[in-house]
Amino acid sequence: MRRNIFALLALGVLAALTVVSQADALQAQKAYKEMTITITVTPSPAPTGGYLPAPPAAPAAAVALAARLLADPLAGPARVAFAGPAWDVAPGGGLQVAQVMVQPSPVPVQFVAKADPNAAYLHIVPHTPSINAGYGKTVFPCAFEIFTFYTNTYSLTDWGYGTLKTGATPYFPIENYPTISYLSWAVPDFSATVTPYNNSGPPGETTWTGAKNQSQQHCIDLTLNVPNSQPAGLYTATVQYNLYVTLP
Amino acid sequence: MKMQDVTRRWAAPAAILSLAAMLSLAALPQTAAASATREGSAQINYKILPSIKAQVVPNYQSSFGPTGGLGSGSTPAAGPSAVLGGGTVDFGNVVVGYEYLYKYAAQVSVQTNDASGFVVYGEGATDLNGSNPVPAPSTWPLQQTLFWLVSNAANTAFSPASAFNKTSGTPLGANGSNGINYGAGTPSPASQIWVNPGAGNVSQGYDYELRLSGSIPTSQFNVYIVYTVIGN
Repeated sequence: MRRNIFALLALGVLAALTVVSQADALQAQKAYKEMTITITVTPSPAPTGGYLPAPPAAPAAAVALAARLLADPLAGPARVAFAGPAWDVAPGGGLQVAQVMVQPSPVPVQFVAKADPNAAYLHIVPHTPSINAGYGKTVFPCAFEIFTFYTNTYSLTDWGYGTLKTGATPYFPIENYPTISYLSWAVPDFSATVTPYNNSGPPGETTWTGAKNQSQQHCIDLTLNVPNSQPAGLYTATVQYNLYVTLP
Repeated sequence: MKMQDVTRRWAAPAAILSLAAMLSLAALPQTAAASATREGSAQINYKILPSIKAQVVPNYQSSFGPTGGLGSGSTPAAGPSAVLGGGTVDFGNVVVGYEYLYKYAAQVSVQTNDASGFVVYGEGATDLNGSNPVPAPSTWPLQQTLFWLVSNAANTAFSPASAFNKTSGTPLGANGSNGINYGAGTPSPASQIWVNPGAGNVSQGYDYELRLSGSIPTSQFNVYIVYTVIGN
């Protein structure tokens, strides 16, 4: 009897694993894109107060000499100041002409922009690709929009580019697990909930899901929290968005 | 500005006159040495007018060219206009919606005797000009598309970078192929790419980043990046 129960349990576990495995096999990554935001953290205001040490006192000998020369500027032996034997400006060398502004030949830049074959399924429309942020929390409404579509059910997922559950180098503002990201997102069309970006790498978090043949485009609101310990400077936040589709 | 020029122009002759006066005064005590001795000093101030020269070399190091395009399904390669030590910073074919890094795009070299150093500005003579086919509108904003960062082997298409700005000056030649005329002014402080505090013969290399938003039209785009060096 006991042997039968164990056999049934083992069969049940095996069946469950098979179902999960089949469900995973039906998902495929159709496309992915990186969304890069340039962040300029501006310095905090200068402190209003501070301590300035007093300048050092002049040496007593120098003070005495200055007082003596003031009292009698022509006293003492004749002296001529001398700065060394070399000419600072050699005679006959001519004057150099000032060149206040110099402009070398410009650098030509070119590229040929080709259409993205995946754009019909996933593309990003940036609105605020560069942001200036002070210290504390700043909200950037509809920093960008994301468009998704597929001929079958699908899901859009995201995670901080380059992040991993363990071992990845953390970068401000998304950082790396277990530190919580300083950059958060919300899709106001669905919810006002603000969520710190996933920074554990794949499989990330679900941004939204879509039905078969459903095209949708939604704004992403960003919230950036700059801690006081963060130096002012230039940073980038890169988020990877992935379109996983259900295979027919 | 003109007052400074006048001051500089007369600084050297004044220094020579001062030197002559000092030497003649120094000779006097020898004739009157028997009667009295006197001491004093003269400080002569003069200024050597600064000299600044600069060169910019595109594709300045082997292994220059584009990388990135992660997720686009294609491997970027430099276009035919890019040659080592010159030519064009040619990203070749790139896919809309992806980011690219062009390594060793340009190197700026400056030679100056100005102990106060210099500032280098870099900005676009125009926005990006679409030409093949001509899109509508024919230009695309440079400011959110092309970026610069100091060259480093560890740079990627997602490294922090600053946007190139479109100039407020007047482009010279076709689309600024001969530079930018700033008139009596200077480039915008926002276009500063290098501040060097002293004199010397120094160089700095730059990579470029290309971020193609999903709405840029498919076309060939061109722009001239103009570097301007100004002594402090």
